[in-house]
Amino acid sequence: MERSSSFPIVKKKVGNVSTRRIVVTSGKGGVGKTTTTANLGAALAMRGHRVVLVDADIGLRNLDLVLGLEKRIVFDIVEVAEGRCQLRQALIKDKRFESLAILPAAQTREKEALTAEQFAGVIAGLDEFADFVLIDCPAGIETGFRNAVAGAKEALVVTTPEVSAIRDADRVIGKLLEVPMPISLIVNRLRPEMVRSGDMLAVEDVCEVLNATLVGVVPDDEEIIDTTNRGEPIVLDESNRLRTIYEKIARRLEGEDIPITSFEKPTFFKRLIGAITTG
Amino acid sequence: MHERQLEIEEAVVPAARGRAIVITSGKGGVGKTTTTANLGTALAMRGARVALVDADIGLRNLDIVLGLESRVKHHLLDVIEGGVTLEEALVPSKYNESLVLLAAAQHREKDEVPTEAMTALIERLRERFDYVLVDCPAGIEHGFRNAIAGAQEAIVVCTPEVSAVRDVDRVIGLLGNRFKPQLIVNRLRPQLVKRGKMLSVEDVNAILRLPLLGVIADEPEIIITTNKGEPLALRRDGATGAAYHAMAAKIAGEDVEAPMVEVRESFFGRLGAFFGGKA
Amino acid sequence: MGKGFAGAQREPAVDDGRSEVVSALLRGRSWGIEIALDGADLGEALAELEGKLSAAEAFYRDCEATLRFGELAPSADDLTRLQSLLSGRNISIRRVLGGAAIAATAEALAAPFEESAAPSAAPNPRREPRRSRVVELSESARSLKADFDGARADIASRRRAGEPSVRRLDLKRLAGDEAPSLRLVEAAPGTLYHIGTLRGGQSLQQIGNIVVVGDVNPGAELIASGDILVFGRLAGVAHAGAQGDVSARVRALDLVPTQLRIATAIAAESSARRGKKAEPETACVRDGKIVVVPYSKEESW
Repeated sequence: MERSSSFPIVKKKVGNVSTRRIVVTSGKGGVGKTTTTANLGAALAMRGHRVVLVDADIGLRNLDLVLGLEKRIVFDIVEVAEGRCQLRQALIKDKRFESLAILPAAQTREKEALTAEQFAGVIAGLDEFADFVLIDCPAGIETGFRNAVAGAKEALVVTTPEVSAIRDADRVIGKLLEVPMPISLIVNRLRPEMVRSGDMLAVEDVCEVLNATLVGVVPDDEEIIDTTNRGEPIVLDESNRLRTIYEKIARRLEGEDIPITSFEKPTFFKRLIGAITTG
Repeated sequence: MHERQLEIEEAVVPAARGRAIVITSGKGGVGKTTTTANLGTALAMRGARVALVDADIGLRNLDIVLGLESRVKHHLLDVIEGGVTLEEALVPSKYNESLVLLAAAQHREKDEVPTEAMTALIERLRERFDYVLVDCPAGIEHGFRNAIAGAQEAIVVCTPEVSAVRDVDRVIGLLGNRFKPQLIVNRLRPQLVKRGKMLSVEDVNAILRLPLLGVIADEPEIIITTNKGEPLALRRDGATGAAYHAMAAKIAGEDVEAPMVEVRESFFGRLGAFFGGKA
Repeated sequence: MGKGFAGAQREPAVDDGRSEVVSALLRGRSWGIEIALDGADLGEALAELEGKLSAAEAFYRDCEATLRFGELAPSADDLTRLQSLLSGRNISIRRVLGGAAIAATAEALAAPFEESAAPSAAPNPRREPRRSRVVELSESARSLKADFDGARADIASRRRAGEPSVRRLDLKRLAGDEAPSLRLVEAAPGTLYHIGTLRGGQSLQQIGNIVVVGDVNPGAELIASGDILVFGRLAGVAHAGAQGDVSARVRALDLVPTQLRIATAIAAESSARRGKKAEPETACVRDGKIVVVPYSKEESW
């Protein structure tokens, strides 16, 4: 796998390029939304963009934990929306990256503490601070989901290659298309050996069902759990292949056309055999 | 004082009413649905009459995990709105005579279900079944509040990750004293725990402080069987199946040990620690 | 966690008005004031006394005083002056101390007399702050001091902009049904007494002190205008002295908070403390920063 000790710095945007507001969602819980938001945000920051990550999971906040910033929280998004502090005061700059900050969720409140309009208002206020705003969406399709989507202009749907996750992603994509909103797809936690043995769906199968633009395939990595426990995003680990993978996803979001690395041999052959034997 | 009075009242209620247990966690993707399906299967294999209720309206998955998705004709909301009788909506399991499923609606929203209606529905099921297991959606919003509405007991599922422990702790706080929650630690990977890359059961329960119902190790088998719709509990042999049966016995009141997963420290681990390196 | 660190000492009591030492002349007690008039120049002492009493009229009004004289009885003029100083502020004389000759003075003042040859300049450990002595911090305190650059930079920038560095205590938010289910055993005036573990997402707020018998899990928060005491593990966020009292303290059997705040000071534990054996500790503010000392080293009041 290729390694890079540093990402090339992208020239700061000039002119009237507006801030990208992307909601990272999935429907199914536990597929890796928060981990994706953190690592993708870090990768974008390493490429020189100003990035703000927003935790929209009020009451069940985790983005701060995954980045190891939980001890630095003083103000949160609800207090910003209620006018009890400035947006600037609530942002926590991550010292490991030049241009990455997070806006934490509140922990002792409920999702109903904010309306969709309030949430969208706070996100709009981030335009002056960021080139990219990534919104970490809560699981499900209830109030929290609706609020998070209200703040976004595009969506990044994360799924794992499992039937229940795909079904939920499909439901979510349906809702996002109603807004409407452009949708990109990340297939997370792929286990190539399980795909080969026919025990897990292949990426093509996933894309066929969901019919969305694929921007990344992230293999399962047992280091991820430890990194999220320690609050150190995996992109900081130069020896881990996920660093390059997230960098490529960042570049695809910037608009670059990079082919997706294939982690498994094509299943066409298997399907052909299957078609022949079952008729 | 008030609590003691309640106990006396309950003794007067005929024991024929079944037990309604909600399986919850707060965090998504920790294995609530899989647990519901497997515990239900194990209880049914002991001869109990079991009803499984999928409370994840809009994102239903319990039917997939039981392999019943093609057999679902009516769902929970149909019953609540009076369109069909409870009889017509209950789907019998492919594998057990005494196990049935009440599926969630896929194209509806959670807030369409009033909480009182949920409570009434669970009560009706309690009259006909020994166990009513309710699969709770992720999050702490309306869907969660509905799922716990009719239940008297709770089983809390948690994975050995810091973010999961935080979310689960929140949910335990919201459950309050009523539900006598018990804990299942799911997806433990003994190798990672040994190497210090994953929390141990003790780490998890040092914060959650709940009576332990059991521990399940992470196995590729589990993903495979949920994709295929064949709950692992159908096989009594094999570590996972046996664990679910032990937990079912414990729930039924038998004096059995909570199934554990061994994390034996390797000789090399100890050697490494002795020389001050990371084990 | 600073186990057996012999050098650690606690700073002298932070001034809170209750046992204030104004000077060698005036010493505050819980019942009133003790006035030492056994020095060389009584006239000078009385002038100083007048100055002190005038500086805080309302505070000294209506209180009780013990007068301590030396061996020599005061002159009639001095006595009159003293009497008018005290009665003008309705300060009653509780007791008069001094050598044998003072018995007559006490009678003139219509106050009980107690013979006492002991010098009034007995060393009061609280009289002067012990700034000259080098105070060694426990290991845990040292690591806290060195930690948290990022947050301090944030707070400094907030202060420069004239903004509050921590959120203001807004108790109106907490309605009865929002509070977690509490088993209130006894609510002493000013202290919230909670039995049971506080889970993530739960919050206790009190004007006064908070006592928790149980753990405070990460994600939970305690906000008090007074002290905080956790008879268990404190792993959430604790904010003592939330309305500005820097003398407030946070104590716990196992002090491992996500974040500690006392008045406007803020600190977080360094990860070096993880895995160390738990022992009772106290956090307080010293020189504007939060320090943690083992409870066994905290001097009793």
